[in-house]
Amino acid sequence: MIIEDFDFWLGKAGYFSLTLLIVTFYGLLVGAFIDRTIAKVQGRIGIPYRQPFINILKNFFKRTAISHGVMFYLGPVFRIAGGIGTLAFIPVLYGSEMFSNFSMAGDLFLVIYFMFFGQLGMALGAGESGHPYAAIGIARGLSQMTAYEVPFVLAVISIVIQYDTLSITQIVAAQQGGWQNWTVVTNWVATLAAMLAFLGMMGYSPFDIFLAPQEIPIGPPTEFHSAYLGLMQLNRALFGATKLVLFMNLFFGGATSWPELMIKTLLIYMVAIVVGVAFPRFRVDQGIRFFFKIPTLIGIMSIVYVQMMLVA
Amino acid sequence: MVVTNTIIDVLLQPLGIYVLALGAGFLIPLFYRVRRGSGVLVFFAALAAMAVIAGLNLLAIINGAPAIDIETAGIKPPFSINLRFGLLEGGFVLAVNTVALLGAWHYLPRLKQQAASLLLYLILVMGINGMVMTRDLFNLFIFIEITSIATYALIGMGRSDNVLAAGFKYVMATSIASAFFLLGTIFLYYQTGTLNIDDIIMNRDLIEGPIGLIATLFLLTSLLVELKPYPANGWGLDVYETADSGIASLISVGVSAGVFFALYKLLPLMDNYLTSIALIGGLTFLISNLIGLKQENTKRLLGYSSIGQMGLLTLAVALLKQTDADAHLPLIVGGLFVNHLFAKAGLFWLAGIVNRKCIGEWSSGVKRSEVLLLGVLITALVGLPPFPGFWAKWELVMLLAGNELFGWIALILIGSLLEAAYLFRWFSYARQQDSEQPDDAPAEASFSFMQIMPVTIAALLLFITGYGMAKTMHVASPEVFLPLVAGFAMWLIDRSHGRLKNLPMLAAVAVGGYLLTNDLEGINRLFSYLLVGGGILVSIAAMYRNDNRRGFYPLLTVLLLSLATLLRAQTSLEFFFSWELMTLSSYLLVTLGRNGVKPALTYLLFSLASAYFILAGFSVAYGATGSLLLADLGNSGDSVAIIFSLLAAGFIIKMGGFGVHIWLPGAYAESDDDFTAILSAVVSKAGIFGLFIIAAHLGVRSDIGLDPGYVLGWIGILTATFGALMAVFQEDIKRLVAYSSMGQLGYIVTGMALMSHLGWVSAMYITVNHFLFKGILFLSIAGVILRTNERLMYKMGGLIKNMPFTFTFVMIAIIAMSGVPPLSGYGGKWMLFNALMEKQWYWITAFAFFSSAVAFLYMFRLLQTVFLGQRKLEHAEIREAPMILLLPQMVMIVGIMVISAYPKLLIDPLSAAIDPWIANTLVWQGTALHAHFGHWNAPMIMAVVAGVFMIPLILLSLFALSMKIQKVEQFNIVYAAERPRRPEETHFAYKFFAHYDRAIGFTVRPRATAFWNSVVEWSHSAGASLRIFYNGNGQTYALFVIMYFVGLFLFNGGLAL
Amino acid sequence: MNMLTDFPISLIVLCSGLCLILLGLWGMLTQRNLIRIIIGFSLMDTGIHMVMVSIGYVTGGTAPIINDAVAMNEAVNRVVDPVPSALVLTAIVIGLGVTAVMLSFAVRIHKTRKTLMIDKLTESKW
Repeated sequence: MIIEDFDFWLGKAGYFSLTLLIVTFYGLLVGAFIDRTIAKVQGRIGIPYRQPFINILKNFFKRTAISHGVMFYLGPVFRIAGGIGTLAFIPVLYGSEMFSNFSMAGDLFLVIYFMFFGQLGMALGAGESGHPYAAIGIARGLSQMTAYEVPFVLAVISIVIQYDTLSITQIVAAQQGGWQNWTVVTNWVATLAAMLAFLGMMGYSPFDIFLAPQEIPIGPPTEFHSAYLGLMQLNRALFGATKLVLFMNLFFGGATSWPELMIKTLLIYMVAIVVGVAFPRFRVDQGIRFFFKIPTLIGIMSIVYVQMMLVA
Repeated sequence: MVVTNTIIDVLLQPLGIYVLALGAGFLIPLFYRVRRGSGVLVFFAALAAMAVIAGLNLLAIINGAPAIDIETAGIKPPFSINLRFGLLEGGFVLAVNTVALLGAWHYLPRLKQQAASLLLYLILVMGINGMVMTRDLFNLFIFIEITSIATYALIGMGRSDNVLAAGFKYVMATSIASAFFLLGTIFLYYQTGTLNIDDIIMNRDLIEGPIGLIATLFLLTSLLVELKPYPANGWGLDVYETADSGIASLISVGVSAGVFFALYKLLPLMDNYLTSIALIGGLTFLISNLIGLKQENTKRLLGYSSIGQMGLLTLAVALLKQTDADAHLPLIVGGLFVNHLFAKAGLFWLAGIVNRKCIGEWSSGVKRSEVLLLGVLITALVGLPPFPGFWAKWELVMLLAGNELFGWIALILIGSLLEAAYLFRWFSYARQQDSEQPDDAPAEASFSFMQIMPVTIAALLLFITGYGMAKTMHVASPEVFLPLVAGFAMWLIDRSHGRLKNLPMLAAVAVGGYLLTNDLEGINRLFSYLLVGGGILVSIAAMYRNDNRRGFYPLLTVLLLSLATLLRAQTSLEFFFSWELMTLSSYLLVTLGRNGVKPALTYLLFSLASAYFILAGFSVAYGATGSLLLADLGNSGDSVAIIFSLLAAGFIIKMGGFGVHIWLPGAYAESDDDFTAILSAVVSKAGIFGLFIIAAHLGVRSDIGLDPGYVLGWIGILTATFGALMAVFQEDIKRLVAYSSMGQLGYIVTGMALMSHLGWVSAMYITVNHFLFKGILFLSIAGVILRTNERLMYKMGGLIKNMPFTFTFVMIAIIAMSGVPPLSGYGGKWMLFNALMEKQWYWITAFAFFSSAVAFLYMFRLLQTVFLGQRKLEHAEIREAPMILLLPQMVMIVGIMVISAYPKLLIDPLSAAIDPWIANTLVWQGTALHAHFGHWNAPMIMAVVAGVFMIPLILLSLFALSMKIQKVEQFNIVYAAERPRRPEETHFAYKFFAHYDRAIGFTVRPRATAFWNSVVEWSHSAGASLRIFYNGNGQTYALFVIMYFVGLFLFNGGLAL
Repeated sequence: MNMLTDFPISLIVLCSGLCLILLGLWGMLTQRNLIRIIIGFSLMDTGIHMVMVSIGYVTGGTAPIINDAVAMNEAVNRVVDPVPSALVLTAIVIGLGVTAVMLSFAVRIHKTRKTLMIDKLTESKW
């Protein structure tokens, strides 16, 4: 089957490579922009825009590296494969065959589950390094993940009920025709729940304990360096942007062109940043309990809301 | 010559029993005086002849000869005493005489010390025979008294300190009962003018007014009291406790049998009191078993059980009379009677041989053969297959269900469960010592061989009668008994040494399994691949242990083959038989674990509770449809909901559902490591099969489908959620995976509960997947434990270096379990969520998401703390797990990979098998599966993931080529400017999720365990408060006997007089 | 048949028999001493025997021997029912046996335990 559709695969792979390049580049750029924004808030000047690119190049061309074992070596590979794969299953631009990627392979559900792929592989790699901070960071990160998943999933169920589909393409299609059709308007409850979960997902303050930049230096990636770190930095940009694209598709009408995508995702990102610079950090158990309270309640309300809406 | 022949002919008549008993009674003292041995010989000859006569005559009757009426004194009844020897009489007499013969063998060392005791024993047995056969009321009294006096005297010969006091209480109580009997007899004679029982029954219209009432109640009270009803039975308990085992056994099974038969004979007079009799029997059964829970004294425990069993018999006979089901008497009452007779007598003898005052003391120095016999006898007594009690209880329950007497069914089942609890508790004590005990020394063995011979014969007779009953009930097909036969064959070679025993077992299961399942179709066939094929695959790994493993292979044979018979069951009886067999064999296998005995008991009790729920469900179905066919379950009309609920409850308990899961972690964790794999990967699927049966037959066809289904869906998802949450906080690797099993089964329950095509396909898909990844996980863990000798995860770490294959397999299994694409777990989750959304079970969907997210926590913990992190110094040298453990895992890895890439290979047959029940709704477009909401193209996902994985891998490798990658030693990490020296300082593993515990740990505090503990506590205190009547004072006991009459009198209209 | 008016003698026996039974039972239930309990049993036993005899008795009846004194055809009304009397004989023998066993128990209890008080003999309970 794969051999027969060779043309299909070649075309898809080519288009997807383009998507990948654009999104990664954009992700790195946005990363720099965000870092600069935070620096401004804190009264610093911040990094130049080229800094993330330089960092990655520098890391890739380091001359020495150490290895703690096979899994350690594969960890970053898993990580970025998770990032790329997630992007691969999301249609990036609505109405564009070119940038629909491999979204015919699976639906929203696939994307949600594939997001774990990189995290799990990376966690295993970090685990083999034998560094306790890595394990502590992962234990915290996973715990927090189970918590913010709850409002997120409730919101997802809500919009799946609303649009009667799990296909991201169709969800975006249903939001076309003006801002009044966006989920954020038609189902603002679900969007609210999802955006609260989004705060946890992005890992900025108040939910950044698993990285804990002060106490356990940078958490899971502690032992990674050189090209490993380069791959992970690439992924951080890529994966962050991918999550933004997903949120944009689900709640903010998707995008029909790259500029629209960039503006929308930047604005979505700013939510996490504004909250991040304004609030201090939660302890991990506080963070977990936070998600189980108000956001979960809003998530539950979103399902009730959408059911009432459909009846009415 | 002719004369001799005539004499022999006469002696072979039933009357010969008495002639021989009395004749021998005269001869024994003579011979004894000449030579002690010859007296004993006469004694045994007489006893054996009594049994043989009973046997020959019974055989003649079974072959069609008419019942034998024996007249005496050359005059026709009613002017003379007559005896009858019919089918029932013959059965009772034969059974009693057989057990008396065996009992004499057991008791011989004491009996032969005095000629008088030989004589008394003979008279006692003759008295019981008389009680059974006589048709004359006053003669019955005489025989009761003969029996009693002989009993008194034999009790008085006992050795223990308190036997005299107990005997005196016994005499007091029974003499008052006898007085009642005599008064009743004389008043009946006054009213009817006859003493012949048949005449009295014929003229029962004459029994009227206050005198008639009192006379009947006198007789009834007397017989009931002799059967030791609650609470007027303290005197009986004291004798059971203190008398020699040879006598106690005869009182328990022999004397009670005679009295019971007398009651049965007089029942036609008691038509108005049948409810009272049933109530008394039922309450006695229930309460004595409840009180038994607190009993520690071995023989007193047996006493409680005896009293309970007699209560059950009384209950059965009264209810059979009430429902005019005399035709069922031989099967039900006969079955229960024979079962109790041999099992209880055997247990008393065993208690006498082992001679331990408290059941707790059985935990040391009891021989293997004795423990084996104890197990067989207790199994029979509790009513598990293949013994007569099982068949009789089944018939009884079905009969009661046919008459809609469901309250009685509940009472019987609860009582049985209580009895099982204390009897198996005893067995648990006895089981605990096996491991440290060397094989018996030969010299001692031959001595104990003679001693335990009677017990062994009793056990064999139980097997034989059990098989006989199965034949009578038309279930004795070779297929049904194949597991037992194969298990027995394996047992014969069980003494041989080492791992090679596994090969004949695998061959037996393969051949047997093929024979049993090759004609199955549809879903049953798919299950047979999983249960039998999968069972064999996982069992291969058992060869990694080369020790003797006594009992392991025979039991495993029984277990796996009984799973096969379960699949081919057509009737609920066959199903239940196989189910119980599976329960029993898996229980015994769990006890083989190092600390397995205690958790095994919990496992057994929950399994039995599950079985009784199933039995109750089947009985309601039988009551509604009158059919035992599983296929007819759906025709139960209005009862569908209740049948569904009962059966579902049974299967949920067996699968370790939320709230009734507390047996699961212990049983899984403490079993042998390779058996845990079988338990989780294979045996747990039996519950799923059961759920499928009821879902298919009841869930789909009924109109009410949704409501019980919805509840089931919630139970499933709560099981999944709390299973996952509890797994997160385990330190013990096996407990972690055990809780994980519980959680995964929860998804399957929810899938089944959906009652939709997609739901069932998802449930079956997850079932197959669960088999694969749990098989791998538990076998890997077996390897890890083998190498490290640890089960606590924080004592391991870094094993990836030593056991790379095991790590890889565990990792793949965990990804397959987690549901992360591209491996097989994703398909199950995808189908389940789509089916849930289609059914609009949104809240359950949300819970399912949450629980699968929580599952990541424990999955990661397992990998991290065992295989990653810092290796312990003492583990530096350990090797990879043995090849034989890895081999089955490799096969299962291949299975996971194939299913992951081409799920259609699995889903198509599943869908086709489900299609006859619920029409196929799956839409395939090429390799993509489309449901209402979403779509899933597994090969494509696999290809994309492989692609996106390769790109960075190549990229990194290219850079790595230019780098000098240096392998570093352990501890070479950036660690707070310090270089750690011990792995214990650096391996973050203990209380891995402490913060999670702080956040939501309160949800998984062991509330269910606390609840069930308090249930145990309540039953014990209920038992304690119910036994306050047994204050040890003979006068109190005598008062109760009198009060019993008063109570019966008032209850049956005495006030109206 | 009306016992109350027609058969006064047997009524007396019956009543005293019943009284003896109750007396015997009372003795068995209240007396602490084993010997007294056995005496109570004996009383009860005797009472039962009296009740049995009274039931077969026919006022003014004669011995149940069919000869010149009693014609065949009126035997049923004139003859004392022989069956209860026969039964009583057996019952007495049995009662004797039970009494003997009880006494031997009492003797041996006294020998081993140096007491005859039944409330001292409550070791086995619950």
